[in-house]
Amino acid sequence: MAAADSPSAALRRDLCSRGIRLAGKMRADVVDLLDAYVEQQGLDASASVAAVEGLPLAAVERWDEQTGTQRLLENLAAYRAFRALLAQMLEEQREQLGEADAGLGRALAAVLLQVSAFAYHLEELLRLESRGIPGEEEEEEDGPPPPPRLSLFEQKLRGLGVLRELAQWAVRSVRDLRQLAKPSPATGVAPGLAESP
Amino acid sequence: MFSRWNWVACGFCLVLNICSPDASSGLVQSCGHIIPESPVLALGSNFTALCILNESCLDFGNIYASQIIWKIKNRLVPKEQYREINRTVSSVTFNDTSSLATPLTCNILADGQIEQNIYGITVTVGLAPEKPKNLSCIVHQVSRFTYVMTCTWNPGRHTFLDTQFRLRYSWPEEIFPDCIPKDVNNSCTITDIQFFVNTEIWVEATNALGKAESDPLVVDPIDIVKPLSPQNVSVSSGILPTVLKLSWENWISDAVMTLKFNIRYRIVGDTNWMEVPSEDTASPRTSFSVQGLRPYTEYAFSIRCMKEDGEGYWSDWSEEKTGITPEDQPSKGPPIWRIIDTSHSPAFWTVHLIWKALKPFEANGVILQYEVTVRDKSSLSCPVKKYNVTSTNHTLQLPEGTYEVTLIARNSVGASPPSVLLIPASNSKAPVKNLRTLPKHDKLWVGWTAPNSYVLKYVIEWCLVSSSSDCIIEWQIALGDVQGIDLKGIKPFKCYLITVYPLYADGQGSGQSVKAYLKQDRPSKGPTVQTKKVGKAEAVLTWNHLTVEEQNGFIRNYTILYKTIDGNETVVTVDPSKTEYTLSSLTSDTLYTVRMMASTDNGSRTGPDFTFTTQKFGKGEIEAIVVPVCLAFLLIVLLGVLFCFNKRDLIKKHIWPIVPDPSKSNIAQWSPQVPAKHNFNSKDQMYPEGSFTDVSVVEIEADDKKSFSEQDLKPFDLLKKEKSTSEGHSSGIGGSSCMSSPRQSVSDSDEGETTQNTSSTVQYSTVVLNGYRDQTPLQVFSRSESTQPLLDSEERSEDHSGGADSTAQRQQYFRQNGGQDETNTDRLCFEGTKQITHADEGDLVGFVQLQISGQSSQPLGFGMEKNTQEAALSSVLQTCTEGQTVRPETVEENLLPVDEMPKSYLPQTVRQGGYMPQ
Repeated sequence: MAAADSPSAALRRDLCSRGIRLAGKMRADVVDLLDAYVEQQGLDASASVAAVEGLPLAAVERWDEQTGTQRLLENLAAYRAFRALLAQMLEEQREQLGEADAGLGRALAAVLLQVSAFAYHLEELLRLESRGIPGEEEEEEDGPPPPPRLSLFEQKLRGLGVLRELAQWAVRSVRDLRQLAKPSPATGVAPGLAESP
Repeated sequence: MFSRWNWVACGFCLVLNICSPDASSGLVQSCGHIIPESPVLALGSNFTALCILNESCLDFGNIYASQIIWKIKNRLVPKEQYREINRTVSSVTFNDTSSLATPLTCNILADGQIEQNIYGITVTVGLAPEKPKNLSCIVHQVSRFTYVMTCTWNPGRHTFLDTQFRLRYSWPEEIFPDCIPKDVNNSCTITDIQFFVNTEIWVEATNALGKAESDPLVVDPIDIVKPLSPQNVSVSSGILPTVLKLSWENWISDAVMTLKFNIRYRIVGDTNWMEVPSEDTASPRTSFSVQGLRPYTEYAFSIRCMKEDGEGYWSDWSEEKTGITPEDQPSKGPPIWRIIDTSHSPAFWTVHLIWKALKPFEANGVILQYEVTVRDKSSLSCPVKKYNVTSTNHTLQLPEGTYEVTLIARNSVGASPPSVLLIPASNSKAPVKNLRTLPKHDKLWVGWTAPNSYVLKYVIEWCLVSSSSDCIIEWQIALGDVQGIDLKGIKPFKCYLITVYPLYADGQGSGQSVKAYLKQDRPSKGPTVQTKKVGKAEAVLTWNHLTVEEQNGFIRNYTILYKTIDGNETVVTVDPSKTEYTLSSLTSDTLYTVRMMASTDNGSRTGPDFTFTTQKFGKGEIEAIVVPVCLAFLLIVLLGVLFCFNKRDLIKKHIWPIVPDPSKSNIAQWSPQVPAKHNFNSKDQMYPEGSFTDVSVVEIEADDKKSFSEQDLKPFDLLKKEKSTSEGHSSGIGGSSCMSSPRQSVSDSDEGETTQNTSSTVQYSTVVLNGYRDQTPLQVFSRSESTQPLLDSEERSEDHSGGADSTAQRQQYFRQNGGQDETNTDRLCFEGTKQITHADEGDLVGFVQLQISGQSSQPLGFGMEKNTQEAALSSVLQTCTEGQTVRPETVEENLLPVDEMPKSYLPQTVRQGGYMPQ
């Protein structure tokens, strides 16, 4: 049990706080990016997109029963996946549009940076939890295989799905970190909150 | 010998080729090289260079390391710094690289005297970069979603080398591209900023001598943001007159950061800002209601923001937006005062009520009208009069009395509290004391000592005193607890009349006045002086007071400066209230120049010069001289007249010898041979060569003057009127000569006096004529006792005289006649006689002097008035001057020559057919 005044506790609070705000900003940016993306790609904002393969869903049952570590691990896995997907999207975007739409590319890059930064926050929090950080390479090896070559439209739809899910995850991450930020006697015990993402 | 020199020359040519600039190209082999090649050296360090000769050149060119010399540019390096390491290597050492320069060359002296370059290097000297210091960063928001981070640092000393600075930043797992400054070495701007992640930022400086890094700055960029100021600020008024609502939009979403705000506001036109307490706006918001404002006042607002937790920087202030608070009812009544005009009738006032418009913060809106209520306190029965006025004054005609005036200002919201002014019948209360003024920069302080009684308030009136226009009164009300106020808007160099009235609850004190200047100057002109009166030793000077516009201050005194042309100037100081001054002790008959100077506290000015001359004589001096002189003259004249009067006979004898009238001579009557000839036209007839040898005087005297009655004189009065000319000259000596016609004279006498002169006795004397120039006299007249009248006049003479010879009577006659002659007979007549005398002085032996005393002559002597005589004199003068022919005729008649007497002389009576003697 970490003392409230210990450096690790302060660092944890700081990481949580910063992570919450980063997730909030990421959500706002992703929402803005979604609008720009839909318009830029000529998609319908109401188009339904199937779940992206290899991407964990933000919605989870019995969310309030999760432990802090579990939350952190799920978040880390999700954002690592987002990082890879967004990097791929950015590459595809550059291939498609070149420098014609630098604004969308910059927005994608900014979101990518935020995802990376959030993943860094999660890793730091996991370190504070004295938990090992799962290796990415291992994940990559064990993770979903490289996506098959998709058509351009499929790429656009997948990108739309990624951004939508990222927006969902941003909301969940804020709530997860708020849960973690609450001073609790045991970080592993999930608080009994009724709210669910 | 020649062959040896030829060999050496060829060898140098070879060296030259070898050492050409492109020797290193490989085409030509160099004879040597320097180690190190073009080094960059730290300033101040030591440095050693080696020159290594190629072996191939040793034999070919006969060149050795001992022949090497080192040069910096063209300057030879001292050989003490050389060291021959072996046959082919020479080194040079520099203890301080600051003495180095480019190029450093290695040369040889072939045959000990011909210098040839072997190799050269470029030496660069500089400093290693210092560690950059004071790294700081700020994130500027440039648009809603765009942020840039600008970091600045201190690059340290100048390195003299090309030094590269780069700003580096990284996340623990992410390294971002470096930011390389452009054109500067102390700042760089990063455009790709991500918030909420601690970012390590540092600066790296690199040059040929090394690399230095600043201390890292670890910061979350969100904590160093300077946001854009809120936009679309708007101001709206609500219901409350003291509240304005401020609304705005924030550029930063709450997702990025929450904000706190500063709100400042000011009244439009005022420069001082007020701020809403920061704790009231320390939370995120987009609107705020500012309270405690003044009603109906336009305010300008401005707002700024920063991160709520205080990390970062305040944004700039937003642009100003203005809004007006709603109206409220006036907060106080207008200050009111009155001016009472009693010039028409003391018992009937013209009351000018004047009040000041409320200040904006008092009016709280637009004043629509004023309500004036006048209550006569001396008569309870009088109704209250109300007036609605839109201006700030109102004039009432009121009988003398005590009144209470109430004034209310009204705007669209409501009415002000009433202002009450009590107008007493008389200002009988105590006035203020010790009224005084004191200039304070651009304001004039007026102070007074309060009366003993409690004063509600004071009214201070002031006006600019002018000689050309009326005093326009300005006024101000001060509370009763103050004893001094500052008057604003006072002009310098102008005279102000300030009056203070104390207002009591039950009356009003009389006003106390004082004149004051905010600032004084010297007068704009000097007085014009002139003399009112100039005497011998004094002069009265007068002048007019300067007008109040010319004074520019209080005239403290006048100074009179006067001097003579060559004398010293005398200065006299005169009280400023005077307009006249008498200069005394002046020198008589001297030109003085006088001028006058008016002085204020701040200077003086002199008027124009005026000159005057003192008089030569003092008052009464001339009189003292003239009067005695005149008196003396008069005395002398009087004495002379008396003397002459006493000696009149003597004088008369000398001046007017007695000339007998030949016409009255008896000789003519007694000489029958003498033809009755009267024309003595020629001079020869008048003055024949024959002359009188003896002259007998016939005296004819009247017996008694009293015998002439008034009746007797009447004909003479008539005669005087009609023939004054004849009368005036008939009896005088000169008069006879001036008579125009002796005949006329005689005939006139005959006509009026014939009867009365019959009793006159004529005493005849014998006229003995001597022969002229041995000629026998024609006739000799002797005294006759005959009583036969010769002429009427002669008869009258005989009657009056009675034949008596009276010297006294004769003298009296002459005195009378002489007096007439002296006064009435003109000098011309005398001159005429004199001429004749001169002309015939030698011829005349004597004259028959005939004294006639009788009625014919008496009127001439006594009966004529002085005026008549003067008139006659004028006539005579006229006659004498105009009728030149008359006088000779008469003279000729009197001075008839003896030889022609019988022919020419005939008494008129005879000629007229009168008695002819036998």
